Amino acid sequence: MLELRHISQNYGARALLQDIDLTVAAGEIVALLGPSGSGKSTLLAIVAGLQRPLSGSVWFDGQDITRLAPEQRRFALMFQDFALFPHLSVLDNVAFGLIEQKQGRSLARARSLDMLALFGLAGHARHKVWHLSGGEQQRVALARALITQPRALLLDEPFSALDADLRVSLRAEFKTRIQAAGMPTLLVTHDEQEARAMAARAVRLSAGCLEPLW
Amino acid sequence: MTGSATRSVRRSDLHTNLWLALLPAAALLLLLIAPLARLALSGFTGEAGWPGAAPGTWSLWMPWQDDYLRWRVLWSLAQAGITCVLAFALGLPLAWVLARFEFAGRTLVLRLLMLPFVVPTLVAALGVLALWGPRGLLSGWLGINLQDTPWLLLYGNLFFNLCMVVRAGVDALGQVNAREVAAARSLGATPWRAFWRIEWPAIAPWLMSSLCLVFLYCFAGFGLALVLGGQRFATVEVEIYTLVAHELQIGQASVLALWMLGLTGSVALLYALLEKRLAAPSRVEPVLRRPPQGMAQWLALLAALGALFFICALPVLAIVWQAWLAGWATWVGVFDAEVRAALWNTLRFSAMALALATLLGVLHALAAQRSVFWRAAAFLPFVVSPVTVAFGLLLLYPGWTASLPLLLAAYAVLAYPFVAKSMAAGLDSLPAHLLQAARTLGASPQRTFWRVTLPLLRPALRRGMAFAAATALGEFAVTLFLSRPEWATLTTLIYRRLGHPGAASLDQAFVLASLLMLLALLAFLLIEWPVAERDVAGRPVERQLQTGDLRHA
Repeated sequence: MLELRHISQNYGARALLQDIDLTVAAGEIVALLGPSGSGKSTLLAIVAGLQRPLSGSVWFDGQDITRLAPEQRRFALMFQDFALFPHLSVLDNVAFGLIEQKQGRSLARARSLDMLALFGLAGHARHKVWHLSGGEQQRVALARALITQPRALLLDEPFSALDADLRVSLRAEFKTRIQAAGMPTLLVTHDEQEARAMAARAVRLSAGCLEPLW
Repeated sequence: MTGSATRSVRRSDLHTNLWLALLPAAALLLLLIAPLARLALSGFTGEAGWPGAAPGTWSLWMPWQDDYLRWRVLWSLAQAGITCVLAFALGLPLAWVLARFEFAGRTLVLRLLMLPFVVPTLVAALGVLALWGPRGLLSGWLGINLQDTPWLLLYGNLFFNLCMVVRAGVDALGQVNAREVAAARSLGATPWRAFWRIEWPAIAPWLMSSLCLVFLYCFAGFGLALVLGGQRFATVEVEIYTLVAHELQIGQASVLALWMLGLTGSVALLYALLEKRLAAPSRVEPVLRRPPQGMAQWLALLAALGALFFICALPVLAIVWQAWLAGWATWVGVFDAEVRAALWNTLRFSAMALALATLLGVLHALAAQRSVFWRAAAFLPFVVSPVTVAFGLLLLYPGWTASLPLLLAAYAVLAYPFVAKSMAAGLDSLPAHLLQAARTLGASPQRTFWRVTLPLLRPALRRGMAFAAATALGEFAVTLFLSRPEWATLTTLIYRRLGHPGAASLDQAFVLASLLMLLALLAFLLIEWPVAERDVAGRPVERQLQTGDLRHA
């Protein structure tokens, strides 16, 4: 279970996050809504360990992980722009995390190929990522995130770079795959329709505070 | 982020930056700042302070009281100023033609504009001699003698600097907003008026900043002035070298070097102020290029290409032609033990200096990511003349003169800013998300650097290393000051051959210059080899070189 306890953060002199408390259970998808600049991505960066909060703590399964480096948390973060590595092939992008987990390169590649087959992308394994369409790139990003069996999944506006039709079809696919993986998932979005389609519970970040939506 | 969390993150960043900056900071301090301080001390006291130096103390105002030295300083300023005027008068129309007309081979011409930046100064000087020297191709044909006139030096200066002004002009004209020009035209402005009222104000700061660099490079130049200036038109840098190497007048040389430092420092400051005023270019709709239409436009294009060929390509071709005319026997005869040793020295010194420069440059760029001051420090070796650096080192470490580590360290300090500036620009353009993605996928900061940052910045690193290699290959001033006779490089050997009387020696110099040119050409190919740099979305990225990235070898 992922827990945020009394998280506060400033942006310049402005209080961006004020005493945020949030819990996400295993297998649960929680949507975090809010307008641009409300601090949604900052909160996600704090959970991922990319930023240190001004005060408060991040807990996972009863352990305080606030001071853990991002690579030690084993949380997967998916970005709005996918953040695929342009110098690597599709296969090596997916294998990146496994290699960091000290799995041998050949084993990591074999497992990544299986994963790509599961996502219907095996034919693109040797391609560079820029050969893929937006939807395919997004699938590769999810495959790369899920293959390391992360303890939690953090999604930062994952569909905002895609066109409307693709967004709708990928939502359903992603929801199924994420629920099958069974980890706590925090979805940051400014699209309420997307939040309703993906998440059983939603909260809104407004003026630095969280308010429950459904 | 503010408060204690921000402070703790910033403290940790600061610690990392301090560690990264340690080696480049030590190099700058020991090999640049301390020698300059020693030089300043010597200049202020006017005392030699060096074993074996000629006795006597010298006033700080000596260069202005002595007629001979005053001429040297004034001529140094004048030749730099005249070059600026010529480079501007020729460079602006050339840049306009290249920026506004579409024609076959335009990209190749723009790429070739980089060629002079990798040509060693001594090779360029020989190129000018091959055209206009005593047995020059053009001087012989036209029956004129330009020896002991200022034209040789001015031509050499233009060879290097015209391309820089043209390149800066083309880049600046690419930033002019087509909509503003169209609005001016629709409001009744003729093309001529639209240029001066819309385009000129937009490009003037860029051109002025590049002209500052032209002035700086000409004023502090050494190799060209040594070979092309002769007795009468040599510059202060040559005078300092003569005073130190031939007359042992260390006190007098120190005072001159101090003035050089002050004057170049002032121009460098002006350049820095101009650069600061240049805002980052916003996204504009560039003016569309059109094929030339009508006789006048075709003539303008041909005249522009002809001028570029005459000033920037002809000297290089003349060396090859003169080397060809030297005959097979000269080519075979020139590869004696001395030349083989010089070639070996050039290659090994350059390789060792390049390795050190790469290390220093990468560390400097990583440390400079959050520090404007540290970023500006990378420009320091660009604005101090190699002669001043070498002389300062000679004064500060008299026991270390003719020591290989000092020579290589000096090479590296002069070359590493190319790597640092290229890498810093690459790091700026690297999306933070890629590095964050690597971290959340389990990579430590070190692993992220090796697996993501470095592979993505390989083109920037290669470009910086190629410029650094060209600098090391063509290094001349520091080698003359700090080297031993048995450590002669190709540049010093060419200079020695030039000092020998007779046509045979000159022919040998042309052959050696061709060889050095070939090495420099390899560096050029590395710089301008088209490599598809791609951004996250796979779009090809062509980072334009800034004029501040450039300094001729």
